[in-house]
Order: sequence, then structure tokens, then C-alpha cells
Amino acid sequence: MVWGLFSLGGFITAFLLPVVMFVSLAAVPSGLWPADRIGFDAYATRFADPLFRIFLFVLIGGSLFHGMHRLRHILLDTRLRRADPLLIVVCYGIAALGSLVALYYTILADWFGIRVPFL
Amino acid sequence: MRELGGVAAAAYALLLLWELRRFRAGESAFDAFHAMIADPLVFAATLVLFALVLVHAVTWFMLVGKAQPVAITRKPMPWKRAFGINVALWLVVSGAVLFLFYGGI
Repeated sequence: MVWGLFSLGGFITAFLLPVVMFVSLAAVPSGLWPADRIGFDAYATRFADPLFRIFLFVLIGGSLFHGMHRLRHILLDTRLRRADPLLIVVCYGIAALGSLVALYYTILADWFGIRVPFL
Repeated sequence: MRELGGVAAAAYALLLLWELRRFRAGESAFDAFHAMIADPLVFAATLVLFALVLVHAVTWFMLVGKAQPVAITRKPMPWKRAFGINVALWLVVSGAVLFLFYGGI
């Protein structure tokens, strides 16, 4: 299952993440786009679209699982093999928790009325 | 380098999550977040993340053709052709994201 999420996350990271980063990190700072296209009102307009919410959740969750799996294996290659049980908990814990928080903000809170007090 | 790109993607995903959280907190929180990431040092760090993610994406497109010959055709597809198809798809998908969510180019 983790391998499947990693693999799917690789697809998402490669195909979807660069264009989102391009908008925030290149198009606006270089003056190609006006700053208000990444401002609060523009974000709110995008966020009203259910497809954007699903896109954002998939993007965050996929990138987290892909990256944290990579991080675990980088650390395993640096002689931390004995710490693997801890790495599994920390790396996949961050990915799972981050994905759940993204799911809460994008879908659960508004569509299902679920409220988590500390979020 | 390519593996660090994967970690950079996770780091940027956390930044997107933080932005989403600030958006949910309201306009002033969102604006404060954007002011924070506009700081030259933070911006430079995110540019490094961007470069690493780009390297990761391009090398992933190269590896797809090499590691797993595309089975659409009877014979395995040359990896350069598979790479070209992936890059073309990447451009189409990126254009679709720009058009659907960011109001086009």
C-alpha cells in the first residue's frame, strides 16, 4: 500500500506540482502575472470550485507520501537502518497526518460539517 | 539530487498545507503568510525547492521509459520516445491546470 501511494505520489509530483510552483514562484515574482492572481480573493474564487479542492487535497497528499517515502530511504542509506521502525512512524505519520489535515480543510469541514477544535 | 527532489516536493506540500490553513483563518492571516514567503531568504529557499522538484520531474519522465518499457506497442518503446510523450503530456496537463484553476495564461 505504501509503495502504491509512493508511486501515485510520484506521478502527482511530476505532473501537477511544478505548474503550481511555477505560478507562485516564477509567474508572479517575475511580473508575468499580476500579484492579485495568487491573492486572497483569487484563492477564495478557486476554493469555491469543488474540483480545485479535490486537486489541492490530491496534490498535498500525493506529494507528502512520495517525499516522505523518499526521505525514509535516504535516511536508511545513511546507516540509519536500525532506526527504520522509528523512521516508518515519523515519515509515514507526517504524510498521513498532513493528508488528513488537507482532507479536513478541503472537504470534510465544509462538505460534511465536521469540526476539529484545534484546526 | 533526484531523491532530494522528492523530499523537496514534500516540503513544498507542507507549505501549501500551511497556506491552506492560513486561508481558512482569514484574509489577514493569508496576507501575512504571503508576506512571510516573500521574504528574500524564504523566497530563495522555495526557488531551490522548485529547481529540485523540476529535476525530480524531468528525471522521473526519463526513468519511466527506461525502467518500465511502455506496453502500448508490441515492442518496448525506446526510452527517448517515452520521455518525449511524457513531457508532451506534462505540458498538456500543466496547461489544463493553468486554464482550469488559474484563469489561463
